Amino acid sequence: MSKIKISLLIVISISIFLISLYLGPNVINPFHINDIEKEILLSIRLPRVIVAALMGMALGASGAVLQAILRNPLADPYILGISSGAAVSAAFGILSGSYFFGKFGVPLTAFAGASIASVVVGAFGWKQGRMLPERLLLAGVGLSFLFYAVLMLLISMSSSEGIRRAVLWIFGDLSIADWSLIPYGVVFIIAGLCISLFRAKALNALMLGDDLAHSLGFSVQKERLLLFISVSLMTSASVSLGGTIGFIGLLIPHIVRFVTGADSRILIPVSAVCGGAFLCISDLIGRSIVSPMEIPSGIITAIIGSPYFLYLLRKKDVLGT
Amino acid sequence: MYSEHNPPILELDSLGFRYFKDKPFINELSFFVGNGELIGLLGANGSGKSTILKLASGILRPAEGQIKLWGKPLHLYKNKDRAKLLCYLPQLLDINLPFKVRELVSMGLYPYDIPPEIRVDEALEMVGLLDKSESNITNLSGGERRRAFIAMTLIQGAGLLLLDEPLANLDIKYQLEIQRLLRELREKKNISIIMALHDINFALHFDKVMLLKEGRILGIGKPEAVLTNDLLKEALDVNLEIKREDSGGTFINYGNNF
Repeated sequence: MSKIKISLLIVISISIFLISLYLGPNVINPFHINDIEKEILLSIRLPRVIVAALMGMALGASGAVLQAILRNPLADPYILGISSGAAVSAAFGILSGSYFFGKFGVPLTAFAGASIASVVVGAFGWKQGRMLPERLLLAGVGLSFLFYAVLMLLISMSSSEGIRRAVLWIFGDLSIADWSLIPYGVVFIIAGLCISLFRAKALNALMLGDDLAHSLGFSVQKERLLLFISVSLMTSASVSLGGTIGFIGLLIPHIVRFVTGADSRILIPVSAVCGGAFLCISDLIGRSIVSPMEIPSGIITAIIGSPYFLYLLRKKDVLGT
Repeated sequence: MYSEHNPPILELDSLGFRYFKDKPFINELSFFVGNGELIGLLGANGSGKSTILKLASGILRPAEGQIKLWGKPLHLYKNKDRAKLLCYLPQLLDINLPFKVRELVSMGLYPYDIPPEIRVDEALEMVGLLDKSESNITNLSGGERRRAFIAMTLIQGAGLLLLDEPLANLDIKYQLEIQRLLRELREKKNISIIMALHDINFALHFDKVMLLKEGRILGIGKPEAVLTNDLLKEALDVNLEIKREDSGGTFINYGNNF
């Protein structure tokens, strides 16, 4: 039964990906495409949908990994302060207007900020040769507050027109997506996904507790570090592609767990596929309903996701307790 | 007792361990575990029962001395190879695990690249949980949960089980049930078991008992030799009397302690 459900989820996700290519402010008929529509499809829609799918995949998979390594159902890729680190550095770049790398400026500064934040959080979570989940979590929460304070300070002190752009980016701005960003996003996200998939058995064992994971033949600290690196890679790449989009990392793994169960070997790939589809559909809604204006995808994911999550929480036992 | 043909499975030789730099917790601790032996670790809280089990399983590294598993230093084993020979179950098992019984038990196969011909159903049947294989771990009773983890260790195929208080927080029915199951495993599969426990009545029926105080061994040997009134007084700091009846039964007399 669950195999049928999983197959159905994957088919629906791929359908959403295809539908969001053809729907939008202008509906394109896939059977009658003229040159202008072809240009829109290949230069604007396709890279945007690919970026949305990549970001959603990264966030869905990272959420599933983090909830397991931190042994906390409320963990998501942003709880570790990686996104707020990216937000500070990207906002600094946007607001100061000082870009050396052209259109790569925002993604590069965001990626640098996310990577630095990952290293700092990892260093705080590390004690006596061990990476401790509780320390990691608390360090992430503490650093997030610090980064957000700096972000607010930057925004409040700025009078430039960049404020709107910075705020849009913070809520997830997929309008900047183009082909040039995709290759490096693919590399980091696929690398992170591969690490987490290859270490999925270790992740299951870590959920039983460190001592049992050791007894099952895993090197607890090495596995946790590898999985942390996979999450950092995926989250940093996702944030730098299109800003901080919340809720996917928290919500998608919980919803998917209903269908697949908690085995990370299935949960991670299905969360990735569903995360990608969820962001595609959120982006489609965001760019269609108030066209020609756009609503940042991060706002749509939260508006759709929160009520559904609360409904599930009421109806079913989401947290597995 | 141990010979070339019957070597000890596990040897702990002059172990030293400290949690804090200037305060040794375990000093010069040595003992052996033979094939198919059932050994009980008894002692007051903080006497070192859990620490010894964690040292023996490789979770903690000793500051001094050496641990050998089948004659080879424990730290030289690859993690997966060690897991096929030795299995540790902690005292506190997470009750909020999101797995089904079958999923949990199957994790016992993780150390194997090519899983051996052990069927999960067989292990579940052995611990009496076949009818609950699709239940969530959260929905099991304390005794059933413990049995599910024991089934996982069976699948793991290790010949040595290190169990930290497997009877703790269980009703007497489940304590007897787990104890019966462990004895059955030992007989059917010749598994050696070392377990920390608090109940002296249970320890009286073990092959060997180790009585601990403040990280050192007060006595080790057959229960009737070790569980004497004097040693128990020294280990537990309370006056207890072991009563042995003519019928062969033994029980603890708590005397005026109530």
